[in-house]
Amino acid sequence: MKWLVVFVSLLAISGSGAKAQEARAVVSEGAWTQYKARFLDPSGRIVDDSNGNISHSEGQGYGLLLAFLADNPPDFEQIWSFTRRELLLRDDGLAAWKWSPVDTPHVVDINNATDGDILIAYALALAGERWGRSDYQSAAAAIAEAILDNTVVEYGGRTLLLPGVSGFSASDRADGPIINPSYWIFEAFPVLNQVAPSPKWQVLAEEGEEMIAGLQFGPRKMPADWVSARTMLKPAAGFPAEFGYNALRIPLYLARAGNTDRELLSRLAAGMAASGGEIAVIDLADGAVNTALNDPGYEIVNHILACVLDGAKLPDTAKSFSPTQYYPSTLHLLGLSFVEEKHPECL
Amino acid sequence: MRTPIIASTVVMTVAIGVAGFADDRYLRQGIVDLFKRAVPDRFVVALGDNFAGNAAAEEVAQATSPPEAEAQPVEQPVVDESALRYFASRGDTARLEAEISRLRTLYPSWTPPENPLAVPRNADAQLETMWQLYAEGRFSEVRRAISERQSNDPGWQPPVDLIERLNVAEARARLINASDLKQYETVIQVGARTPSLLTCSEVDVLWRVAEAFAETDRRDRARDAYLYVLKNCDDQPERLATMQKAAAVLPYATVQELLSFERTTAAGTLEFETIRDDLARRFVAEGDDDAALAVDPKYLQRIERLVETQGLASDALLLGWYQLRRNNMSAAEQWFRRARDKQDSAEASQGLALALIDRKAPQEAEQVLYPWRDASADAHATYMAAAANLLALDPPAALSADVLQRIAAETMKGRDPAAAQQFGWYARALGQHQTAVQWFSTALRWKPDDEPSAYGLALSRHQLGDRAGVAEIQRLWAGRSERIARLAETETAPQQRRLPTPTANGEQPAATMQQPAPVAVARREGVQPAYREVVPRSAVRNTTGCRTTRDPTRLSPAAALTRGWCLMDLNRPLEAAEAFEVALRATQSRMREDAAYGQSLAYLRAGLTDRAAVAATKSPQSRARVDELQTAILADRAIAAFDAGRYAETLVLLDRLGRIGSNRSDLMVLRGYAYLRLRRYAQARQIFEAVAATGNRDAARGLVDVTRAREVWPNKN
Repeated sequence: MKWLVVFVSLLAISGSGAKAQEARAVVSEGAWTQYKARFLDPSGRIVDDSNGNISHSEGQGYGLLLAFLADNPPDFEQIWSFTRRELLLRDDGLAAWKWSPVDTPHVVDINNATDGDILIAYALALAGERWGRSDYQSAAAAIAEAILDNTVVEYGGRTLLLPGVSGFSASDRADGPIINPSYWIFEAFPVLNQVAPSPKWQVLAEEGEEMIAGLQFGPRKMPADWVSARTMLKPAAGFPAEFGYNALRIPLYLARAGNTDRELLSRLAAGMAASGGEIAVIDLADGAVNTALNDPGYEIVNHILACVLDGAKLPDTAKSFSPTQYYPSTLHLLGLSFVEEKHPECL
Repeated sequence: MRTPIIASTVVMTVAIGVAGFADDRYLRQGIVDLFKRAVPDRFVVALGDNFAGNAAAEEVAQATSPPEAEAQPVEQPVVDESALRYFASRGDTARLEAEISRLRTLYPSWTPPENPLAVPRNADAQLETMWQLYAEGRFSEVRRAISERQSNDPGWQPPVDLIERLNVAEARARLINASDLKQYETVIQVGARTPSLLTCSEVDVLWRVAEAFAETDRRDRARDAYLYVLKNCDDQPERLATMQKAAAVLPYATVQELLSFERTTAAGTLEFETIRDDLARRFVAEGDDDAALAVDPKYLQRIERLVETQGLASDALLLGWYQLRRNNMSAAEQWFRRARDKQDSAEASQGLALALIDRKAPQEAEQVLYPWRDASADAHATYMAAAANLLALDPPAALSADVLQRIAAETMKGRDPAAAQQFGWYARALGQHQTAVQWFSTALRWKPDDEPSAYGLALSRHQLGDRAGVAEIQRLWAGRSERIARLAETETAPQQRRLPTPTANGEQPAATMQQPAPVAVARREGVQPAYREVVPRSAVRNTTGCRTTRDPTRLSPAAALTRGWCLMDLNRPLEAAEAFEVALRATQSRMREDAAYGQSLAYLRAGLTDRAAVAATKSPQSRARVDELQTAILADRAIAAFDAGRYAETLVLLDRLGRIGSNRSDLMVLRGYAYLRLRRYAQARQIFEAVAATGNRDAARGLVDVTRAREVWPNKN
């Protein structure tokens, strides 16, 4: 049922019945201009400024998605040119994940990052549909098929999304397969199903929601960034057992995809709230707050949950956008665009 | 006016196809001549799927006959030359030339401007900016500028040749990126979609496409690409580099074909003369690896001359291995000696040792290789082979105490069962049966299924009057060695038996040698293998009394035990298992142990591994028997797990086997295949390489399979 809800709401974005919305930018021109002035290099790469100014497939995917949400075809074209030429190089049709400006060759790890691939394909599919670009559509289809062929696996009765083609599977690691629940970008699955139809997308979505609802580690009952799916789902060995920078996207993605599971969303909201309204990075073992993140780009995740659950209005700090660092600023715009489009009453 | 599209298809004069469609064929020579000056040929990468496209191109080409084409008036097409001006103003002659070449391909009747700097500026300032960005390689910004203008001016269409050239430039960059990252499928895909990149002005791209083909085991396609350059491109340094690259990846015969396109330079010399020595080395080296390859004698002679003139040990080595591989042992010996004279090395000494072993001079072989024995696993294996051969000489060699001592030390260090066995025979030949017993026992500990060692042990015990010890061996080897079984039947006068040596099918007189001292040295503390007492057996089996079928349940346990062994000898394992079951009721623990052991062997032989495992637990067993049974049971299970596709389980079972010290090469090969099926390629390769180094053919095949599998998933580790 949820699948249908998501599906219908997406049709509202890109379907023919919503012509009035088509031209509407849900990321404002002002915010997007500030974002790209800070993070978009003229070469078309999104720069991760807190990570040695590298670029990665995730950043390119977010950049494409935001350019689409800002309804800006030239910027989209610029980012896509770089993405295809510099990252979309793997023999299997997926993108290399890591690009460094100071190394030669620039790609320093040929492995993929599946969330990056999903974001790129998703943005291409949306843009191809809205702007009538069949080249985007076919590129989206090719990546989506490569995702299905190389990263979607069955293990222990579960349908899983491997975070990368190499290094995470059952044969690669003693506690493998390892998954990253924040790579389930639910809003993308029905769109990818349109360009590369497969029953696996729906299975991924349905099982993914169930899985995430079941990830209740430690006293705060929160999901971990990295999870071993070897037997029972548990925090993966070799990674910090944390609700951290990865997992804090989970509630954002759930909300953006139209999830209304009150129990789940309330638990996540309570679990990640630090005392002063910041977002808490949590040590899952004892529930302690390792770091309290006060960047408005992180904090908006909690405000969105309050909006969805209780109709609470966003505070002014969340409503206005001013770029800080690549990652929180990206989440900030994704959050704002969601409220703008689906919950204008919270503004 | 000929449209650019038709023109560019017509000029596919060299269509080098894949999937057997086209082997190095020119289309009609007339077309080649017609367009040769105006249009450089292109190397067309065609994939199987593009078969139809290629066929269509050929049809178009054939439909345009030379006279018709000639009759058409040649008009200058409108080509935007702005980028040329930018390249020229930046002094970027390489890209200027590449661009001109590409434009000629796109527009065959176009003539490049004499002075690119004089190309007039576009009246359209925005378009001019786009060309400038293009010329500066800022492709993302060109894309952006085009899209921006289209957003502002929906009626505006970008010039076709801007889009075409941008596509080509981006494809070129992407191809090079993919090539740098060894993403060869992507390289080939991009090359196939962008034929205008594959021209003499982009030899680097052609090389990268060729490399991608070679690295993905499509050597005939790689050959086509290199051949294209040699047939069509004129730049001397690029031709030379092409030849070097081709020789590095293509097989001997193919390189010979490419060499036939060698040109004579203006100075009258052959253009590849400067690399001829290296080519010869490369060819002879291929002959070192492949005994079936007949390298042209001119290359061998060239290396021989080089040995004289340059005096490099490495060249002498090349010749040594080449001759050794062809069993020209005296020639090989000569070259390896030459190499050692120039510079002694592990490789030269190993080659010489192999030649010496072959001509039955293991004493020198051992001596030559001893200092290099630890240089590599290969060198060590050759050293141990020399040592084993030395001990096996018939008549036995007179060896100094030093030599015996160091061989014994290496044998113990390397746990080498073959050498240990030869020590056994050597000791027997010198009449030192007690020492022989110790060495044979040691060999069996390292290799429990080594029948000659078991036989040697039985013979020596026999000679020492240890009948119980002989019976023990016979029981352990029941059904596996006829000569061991038969040993007990002729118990009389063992002193008169002639003793076999490992090198002879026949036998030789025992205890005739008068050299006890050297072996005595080898027996000193720290060298001597630990001798483990074997519990004497109680009975010698009756091998004839079980031919009639009878119900064993009425037999006494002792009689049932005898009958069980007897049935095993007749290879009736299921009946034997029943008989052993009855023997398991015995009150003496020794008999129950025998029965349980016998029953395990019986089930194993019947292929009932699980039952064998159960039977083995029915009575405590000696350590040796436990290991033997466990090894057999685990090996069977590992194979069954593999056959059932349970590869991870196979590895677990093989790990357990490893813990009880069994490293049979067939099981290591199985491990390799289990890794392979699990796509753990690096580990599979490691195992196969190690086992293949011992000359194991299955492992060599495994290596090929790993390579083939990685071809399908080129990217998995």
